[in-house]
Amino acid sequence: MFHYYLKLSLKSIGRQKSLSVLISTTLGLGIAACMITYSLIYLMSKDPLPNKSNRVYHVQLDNWHRNSAAIEPNLPPEEVTWRDAMNIVHAKQAKYQAAHAITWGMVTPANKNVPPFLGIIRATQGEFFPMFDVPFLYGQGWQNHPINHVEYVTVLSKETNQRVFAGINSVGKTLPMLGKLFTVVGVLDEWHPSPKFFDMSFGAFYPPEDLYVPLQIKAELELPHGGHTHCWEKDLGDNYQAFLNSECVNFNLWIELASQQNKPQFDNYLQTYVEQQKGLGRFPRVSNNIVLNINQWLVYKKVISSDMYLFFYLALLFLLVCLFNAASLISTKFTAKNSEIALRRALGANQLAILSQCLTETLILGCLGALIGIIFCLMGLEGIKYLYPNFSAFVTLDMPLMLITVGISILSSVLAGLIPSIKVSMLAPAGYLK
Amino acid sequence: MNLPFSRIAFRPIISTLLRQKYAMTMLLLQIALTLAVISNGLFIISQRLDILQRPSGIDEPNIFVLTSSGFTENFNPQTSMQADLAELRQMPNIINAVATYSFPFSGSGDWDELQTLAGSDQNTVPAASYKLDENGIDALGLSLLAGENFTASEVLWQTEDNKTFPSVAIITTSVATDLFNTTDWASVVGKTIYINDIHSVVVKGIVLQLQAPWDPVGQIENSIIYPRVVTRNSARYLIRAKLSMLQETTADVEQYLGMSNQQRMIRKVESIKTIRKQVYGPDIAAITILLVVITALSIISAMGIAGMASFNVIKRHKQIGIRRALGANKVDILSHFFVENIIQTTGGIFIGCIFALGLNVFLVAQYALPKLPLTYIFIGIFCLYLLGILATLKPALKAMNISPAEATRSQ
Repeated sequence: MFHYYLKLSLKSIGRQKSLSVLISTTLGLGIAACMITYSLIYLMSKDPLPNKSNRVYHVQLDNWHRNSAAIEPNLPPEEVTWRDAMNIVHAKQAKYQAAHAITWGMVTPANKNVPPFLGIIRATQGEFFPMFDVPFLYGQGWQNHPINHVEYVTVLSKETNQRVFAGINSVGKTLPMLGKLFTVVGVLDEWHPSPKFFDMSFGAFYPPEDLYVPLQIKAELELPHGGHTHCWEKDLGDNYQAFLNSECVNFNLWIELASQQNKPQFDNYLQTYVEQQKGLGRFPRVSNNIVLNINQWLVYKKVISSDMYLFFYLALLFLLVCLFNAASLISTKFTAKNSEIALRRALGANQLAILSQCLTETLILGCLGALIGIIFCLMGLEGIKYLYPNFSAFVTLDMPLMLITVGISILSSVLAGLIPSIKVSMLAPAGYLK
Repeated sequence: MNLPFSRIAFRPIISTLLRQKYAMTMLLLQIALTLAVISNGLFIISQRLDILQRPSGIDEPNIFVLTSSGFTENFNPQTSMQADLAELRQMPNIINAVATYSFPFSGSGDWDELQTLAGSDQNTVPAASYKLDENGIDALGLSLLAGENFTASEVLWQTEDNKTFPSVAIITTSVATDLFNTTDWASVVGKTIYINDIHSVVVKGIVLQLQAPWDPVGQIENSIIYPRVVTRNSARYLIRAKLSMLQETTADVEQYLGMSNQQRMIRKVESIKTIRKQVYGPDIAAITILLVVITALSIISAMGIAGMASFNVIKRHKQIGIRRALGANKVDILSHFFVENIIQTTGGIFIGCIFALGLNVFLVAQYALPKLPLTYIFIGIFCLYLLGILATLKPALKAMNISPAEATRSQ
């Protein structure tokens, strides 16, 4: 029976080509608008570390001025001081812990064919790599070094290894940079975490750094403070060590716990630490430690800008308009063949048969709409990449999104076509047979 | 007098519309939602345009910046910077040049707290701090309204860790107003202000505008300039070219600096125009996306209206013929369809006003958007009437040309 309905529907669509195309295009446009805006929200809120995002935590302490909050209304700074970073990391209260900060400096490859360049560098403790499941192509990272232990080692991004060593396994080779000679201990594989949750000071979708060096190098070579650097003390001393000893925050502090159950224990440790520092005359404010796991942190940082939600809601309204439009067009389409349907009814087709046939027809229109929708969607996402160059790394129409598109399209066509189909199937045939 | 208007039969039009309940409801809802989206969308666009149009105070079209990064052991940042600037300043196509890490749109820089009276209990005014030498005002193209520019002897050349504070500063008019509550700029010159509770400086001049490099506090007009130059291995030069000489000058400067000193590299050569575009990227994107949505929505709505009207023309082919045969002239038929459309649109607009305000209430609550001014609803209403009339035009003309002879033909 379905086969027959299909044949009839295709015939009907063929007969009213322009009307059918109009209906499908309308549906397709509405769906594309929704899917483009939804895919942005969906892709941006994807879990960047699905295996363990619920036990990797970002640590914030409130070391700010007695009378003013670091971030209004009453939030602690998002980074920690050098002293707190060192103390907490070396207390080893979690499975992994690492403080890191962005910096930069000249990389001057020995090979004269490779021009020197300014490398964007992440200075970090070694547990950064296992904590964030950073993929290695060659070699590995380093252990968390004890305080004041300086080792001139570096990990290169895949792109940097390509640039400096033409992509070969460069582990063990030396690289002159920052005026010193560094040994390459590891090369990363492709790694573009989006959002770049572990440090969003340049935006949540900023590309990762070119090179990684041990955090102690930053102090040793007095490298510049990249990312967010905030101070509240009025009279800082005049040298680099003064900065490290100050209440200036610059370091992102992350920990990984063996299990979520250890969280209260870590919270306790942190509270004890703050109390102890208060004893030393620091932390003048009421203690306000914030320890958020990755997904909580992404929400806290409002990674998805309110613009994205705004676009999505407007696109939903757009889809509604398209639905109303398609509904009135489908109603028109069916009304136009009242006499044909009356004839079929007179020849013995029951109401259910007519209803099924009309719904089959709308389903086909829906499938066509899905196809058109996907095409518009792909075009729209290209437009999005043009408008937001930072999003290029992650904006794609993946399988789940594709399936949602088809699903919504079919659902929409049924919604739009249901009432007209019922109306036409309830038609009294007599009036149209004259 | 027999106006064409008086010949329009409103009652039959309304009763026909009421008979097509389902299709009419769909059409009315469509128009209503379109009004809601158009009015709110246009309002958001206008707000974003306001952001884009904030004056930066600098000679945007003629300025470019570049970074000079020294990378050898014996690279001397200060002598290199002084040599570069001296050379740049005497190049024929350059008005002036200055070394600065911050400039409008650069996205990073320090903010200071300013006071007229020292003491942590006194009111403070936030201001972005710029560090420029005596050529800064000319290089940025600022207009000095009162007081004087810095002299070369006042400028402190400092390394990053040297925190010695200068004794004079130049402020923008908005800082002057915030601090002294006056618009008599000359009266502010010579007054002492306190910076971050501990330093005092004398106001040496007032510039009309200088936008902050970034805006964490919502006071983008507030800036203060100190006569300081900070030297690092990486220096950033801001260069103002003569009118319409930007491209040529950029190429010349890049080549000259690249050759003049092999101990450093020149990178990040960008015009202010380019940087501005990146900074305002999200706003430009929002405007574009909203415009696309509004346009597509208008087209869809217009198609809906046109589709309905042409369907009616086809359906009423015979009746139109009869009306024509009974004495209705072409204008009567044409006006019938337009009046029908105007009634539809008006109905949709009534519901649409409620939708538009409802949507705005939602946006105000969720995203702290301001309240929708009624002007934007009126603009939306005007657009919808225009859209409706344009969409009806073709079917109505078709109806007008139906010959009275149709009355005699069977369907």
